[in-house]
Amino acid sequence: MFISGFIYILGETLKGLYRNRWMCITSTGVVMVTLLMLGLFMLVNLNVRHITEAVKEQVEMVVYINEEADRAAVEELGRKILGHREVARVEYVSSEEHMGRLQQQLGGMLEGYDSALDNPLLASFEVRTEDPEAVVRLADEFEAYPGVAAVFYGQGYVENLFEVTRVVQVIGLALMVGLAVTAVFLISHTIKLTVMMRKREITIMKYVGATNWFIRWPFLLEGLLMGLVGAALPLGILNYLYGSSIEWVDVNELMFINLLPLQTVMAELAIYLVPLGTGLGILGSMLSMGRFLRV
Amino acid sequence: MVEAKNLCMKYGKGKQLALENVNFFIDRGEFAFFVGSSGAGKSTLLKLIIREIKPTEGVIKVFNRDVGRLPRHRLPYLRRNIGMVFQDFRLMEERSVYDNVAFAMIVTGSSRREVKRRVPHVLNLVGLQDKAKAKITDLSGGEQQRVGLARAIANRPAMIIADEPTGNLDPGTALDIMNLLRSINLRGTTVLVATHNRDIVDRFRKRVLYLENGKLVGDEQKGIYTNVH
Repeated sequence: MFISGFIYILGETLKGLYRNRWMCITSTGVVMVTLLMLGLFMLVNLNVRHITEAVKEQVEMVVYINEEADRAAVEELGRKILGHREVARVEYVSSEEHMGRLQQQLGGMLEGYDSALDNPLLASFEVRTEDPEAVVRLADEFEAYPGVAAVFYGQGYVENLFEVTRVVQVIGLALMVGLAVTAVFLISHTIKLTVMMRKREITIMKYVGATNWFIRWPFLLEGLLMGLVGAALPLGILNYLYGSSIEWVDVNELMFINLLPLQTVMAELAIYLVPLGTGLGILGSMLSMGRFLRV
Repeated sequence: MVEAKNLCMKYGKGKQLALENVNFFIDRGEFAFFVGSSGAGKSTLLKLIIREIKPTEGVIKVFNRDVGRLPRHRLPYLRRNIGMVFQDFRLMEERSVYDNVAFAMIVTGSSRREVKRRVPHVLNLVGLQDKAKAKITDLSGGEQQRVGLARAIANRPAMIIADEPTGNLDPGTALDIMNLLRSINLRGTTVLVATHNRDIVDRFRKRVLYLENGKLVGDEQKGIYTNVH
């Protein structure tokens, strides 16, 4: 019983795809384009996130210490900052070290300047937080600590970075949901047409006592296959496009564009697009069949 | 086998009753005609038996089960015991005779071996053993109805329901089809036929239930159309 039913269902699926081949090709094409756009957007989104995460990682704040603070006060301040539960790492940088860095950065420009006699640079604590976005809040808190002259974390720039990241994520999510809904609509519409064309057959199946699931399977498999092909082709195209982009960045030595490796990105895309494509195909089938089964 | 108790059916609010307080009992192995003019309620009655529709009031029992209360997922199992024959045959025209009959068995879960053994047998019963590979569109109306009959009996149902099975056929062919139904009945299958074909009813002298404007106005064993009327 199981084998004959399975062979029948498989046969019906393939026959259905063949009989409605133009409709299926059109629909799979539309799903493909939709998923290609979705995949492209995911590619951009993944890389933007990767780049912003890398930038975020570099966000740190510098807590400048008051010139008048004595050794004990500095140590106390260091302990207090390090003891804060949101702080990951603290590094003390003396005024001499600051001067050393400055001399290194400016090269010959400070030649002959005796920093031991006159050093206007303040000593500081360089602080990394657990969550880079916490710097804005912590900066206010640390500024009130005794012995603190000023706190700097790239005011303005950091807030903009976080805002842009959030906007990119929200737009990404909205676009992905929109594209997924479009794909469901297109697949369900196509399957509805094929179901309508086979309404007579479905009615006869109901009269002779076929269960709803027996009737559904060929249509579900059709949707699944359409979704699978609609996902596999964009993956191939994206693999080629992204591979070429990495090569282009490499050839042009644009090292500041820190792209994710091809395999990581394609694995991530496959994890989303394949189940999404097949899931959309099945969902499209289910949505389009409901009322035809009520005989 | 089939029992109706105070059966009423109304298709919509404000509409006339399609069936009104219909009561009857049809026993296992019986052959019964439901007769009456168009709109009398014959088809509605058959639809209620296979639970294509639910009664507005009253009870319709098939195989001792109140089909009006049967859960939707149990419907396929009810219908596997009822073979349906339609006036318009309802065959899949792009498929062969064999496939049309085999289809009914496959969708109800028969094994391939069973299908291969049973389909030639039922085609033989209806006299289409030589037409197994023919396409439906290449057959005459009578032959198409034979395919419909073969499909109806393929799953060995306990009951056959035929809705105007001779409606689209010439008198000679109609008689052939009715003879086939009689021979199926002689093998123990209950047969219910809805028809307004007087000649057929009068010739067969079976139980006749006469419907008029949704009411059962006559029920006679070995009846004839005219007498009941």
